[in-house]
Amino acid sequence: MLFSGIPFLYYFLPAVVILYCLMPRKGKNGFLLLASLLFYAWGEPRYVLLMAASIVLFYTYGLAIERSHKKLWLTLSVLTGVLMLGVFKYADFAVENWNRLTGMSVPLLKLALPIGISFYTFQCVSYTVDVYRGQTAAQRSLLRFGTYVAMFPQLIAGPIVRYVDVAGALEDRKTDWEDFSDGMFGFLVGLGKKVLLANPLGQLTEVFRDCGEKSVLFCWLYAVAFTLHIYFDFSGYSDMAIGLGRIFGFRFPKNFDYPYISKSVSEFWRRWHMTLGGWFRDYVYIPMGGNRVGWGRWALNILTVWMLTGLWHGASWNFVAWGLLFAALLLIEKWVPGMSRLPVWLRRGYVLLTVVISFVIFNAGSLGQAGEDLAGMFGLRNLPAVNTVTLYYLRSYAVLLILGVVGATPLVRNLALRMENRLPAAFLRPVVAAALLLVCTAYLVDGSFNPFLYFRF
Amino acid sequence: MEAKHRKILGMSLTAALWLGLTVAAWCRPPAAFSETERRELAQMPALTAEDLESGRFMSDFESYTLDQFPLRDKFRGLKAQVHYRLLSQLDNNGIYFARGHAAKLEYPLQEASLDHALKVFGQVHARYLGDSRIFAALVPDKGYFLARELGYPAMDYGALAEKMEQGMPYASYVNLSELLTIDDYYRTDPHWRQERLLPAAERLCAAMGVPGPGNMTAVPAETPFLGAYSGQAALPLKPDGFRTLQSDWLNRCRVLNYETGEWGEVYDWEKLSGRDPYETFLSGSVSLLRIENPYAETDRELIVFRDSFGSALAPLLCRGYRTVTLVDLRYLSGAMLSRFLDFHGQDVLFLYSTLVLNNSSQLR
Repeated sequence: MLFSGIPFLYYFLPAVVILYCLMPRKGKNGFLLLASLLFYAWGEPRYVLLMAASIVLFYTYGLAIERSHKKLWLTLSVLTGVLMLGVFKYADFAVENWNRLTGMSVPLLKLALPIGISFYTFQCVSYTVDVYRGQTAAQRSLLRFGTYVAMFPQLIAGPIVRYVDVAGALEDRKTDWEDFSDGMFGFLVGLGKKVLLANPLGQLTEVFRDCGEKSVLFCWLYAVAFTLHIYFDFSGYSDMAIGLGRIFGFRFPKNFDYPYISKSVSEFWRRWHMTLGGWFRDYVYIPMGGNRVGWGRWALNILTVWMLTGLWHGASWNFVAWGLLFAALLLIEKWVPGMSRLPVWLRRGYVLLTVVISFVIFNAGSLGQAGEDLAGMFGLRNLPAVNTVTLYYLRSYAVLLILGVVGATPLVRNLALRMENRLPAAFLRPVVAAALLLVCTAYLVDGSFNPFLYFRF
Repeated sequence: MEAKHRKILGMSLTAALWLGLTVAAWCRPPAAFSETERRELAQMPALTAEDLESGRFMSDFESYTLDQFPLRDKFRGLKAQVHYRLLSQLDNNGIYFARGHAAKLEYPLQEASLDHALKVFGQVHARYLGDSRIFAALVPDKGYFLARELGYPAMDYGALAEKMEQGMPYASYVNLSELLTIDDYYRTDPHWRQERLLPAAERLCAAMGVPGPGNMTAVPAETPFLGAYSGQAALPLKPDGFRTLQSDWLNRCRVLNYETGEWGEVYDWEKLSGRDPYETFLSGSVSLLRIENPYAETDRELIVFRDSFGSALAPLLCRGYRTVTLVDLRYLSGAMLSRFLDFHGQDVLFLYSTLVLNNSSQLR
């Protein structure tokens, strides 16, 4: 079920919120777990059992780690996570490459990727590691642990919520009207990002992909549109998840902080998909030694972490290349002196150009496609500089692109903060919220283009 | 009032709006048909274990919620207004406005679709038309007149015409495009206006060697005509005027509808106040029809393979033909034609719009 779909907005969510409010405190976790399983089953009826099995397994690992043979149980829990991802996400990729290398024809598993497996597996693994490190006590209640793993607001596309962040709320939480009001507003802002900006920009990228009349300018238009699309798609989903969490009494961590205003690639990654970056830092990079090692080992750590980050996004070489590109840039930023003394506009320009190019690689179906797209952008494909089709789409999407660029900066937020607490502004917020609800509904009722990009990861 | 309370009060109003729409969505009795979109609306799917397991129930339920959403047309209108006016997008669901016309982006040229159409025509020719004189004509869609000139993406109409000519070596190609302008089409509909088709009909008749329609009178209908693009654009558009061409010889023609077995007139006046007034011409989408002109100036017969554009034009070809048979290969497979028709060297005209040729999967 999509957050940005009529069944969710006008059937599932209102029913769940009303029943949740009516539920006695003791029954809230159980109800939330049931609702979450229904939410998951709506899109993946077959894989509910897989998720249920993960819940039981990692719950057991948590308890076992606390009791005895800590290392053994931790190793088993990590291996379980790796195995789950390996079978469902990476097996066919590995087999394809094996077949290509050896000329053999080992059959593919052809398993459908369970939605959100990368997210909930990472949450489960982080839980057992945190229990192992003594950062949290193992959860005694299977119901509460199940609620943590399956909680529908963040189940299928993050943010990656660590157990320690919500352990208290799982025991006891309450939602007041301010939480509800802020949560609803956050959700509607996220919905607006997704429906009004990400979806139309995504349509432009689809048009480009299907178009037989490309030009150099169209290639750039596509690259910029996709860069904005992925930001609004993913940060919109995160805003909705955080808003929903708030409605149900949870505080989920922030996942995006205006990454496109970054002045370096390392800053970009402190602002983009912050919970994933934090996960790799705390559970992979630091255990490998982080930067407290010799420069050669450190470089290896960076390359490993970013290759894994790329692979986390998908089982394809273009994702590996995407990750390694960032690894290379991070190493360069560290080793090339004086970069931080360059003018701000130049540093921001460098980050933006890098990010745009990286997302072209990211969105290509293969390395060959990525090469073709990049060659088109840099005039290496014998394409005309511009043509009628490009000008049409440039004119048609100009306002959206401008709104997207402005919306990707803190300008609107700063303006809203300045106006907050003034009388008209206090009434402006519900007007904006109601307008977002109505216009998003109008777009959803009329349209059919509504995929969430990060569901595939 | 404290800022916090103002904020809560304001958002409560939004929550009330949300809840109101939710209640309406749950309680609204489902509608069967959308007049504006001219289509059946999805109904609540039956809940079966098989459909649940396959996910079909979920996708059908989503279609149901979209189709049956309260104030659906108003919401579609709101989306169109935001899309065109606020975001300045040039088309909504592929519909754009230019020179007072609503038109659809028909782009790019689908080579595979053309190949399929040519294959179907070739099979019909090989099976039945060995003794016939065969003619072919293309009806350009509105994009031919608007798109390229005004900077909208457009298919390569020249390549399409060339491919059709080359793909039908058994037919003589009659060029109608050069006789037409955008004003020969309804502003709110993809179709051409019958009252503007006399030059096209004359050219076809001249090519086929029969008398043309001659003088005819354009009679306005009182019913305003809001075409298919009006519903698709979801914006309030000014209706078109609707006229039919009439003459003594045409008024005496009779039409046999093979689907119902009933005889009627060339113009089906009941359709004028129906869902699609364009169906007034030969009753709209009918797989097989025969127009008989007892006062034809020759004994010759004509078979027209056609789409909906043929409904307005075919009656104008009847003056020189004793019978004109209309076949719509979208609804009747070419392989089955011998069950209904006797082919004995009649003249044949393939009259197809670029819209159908570029989306020809329905041709059989």
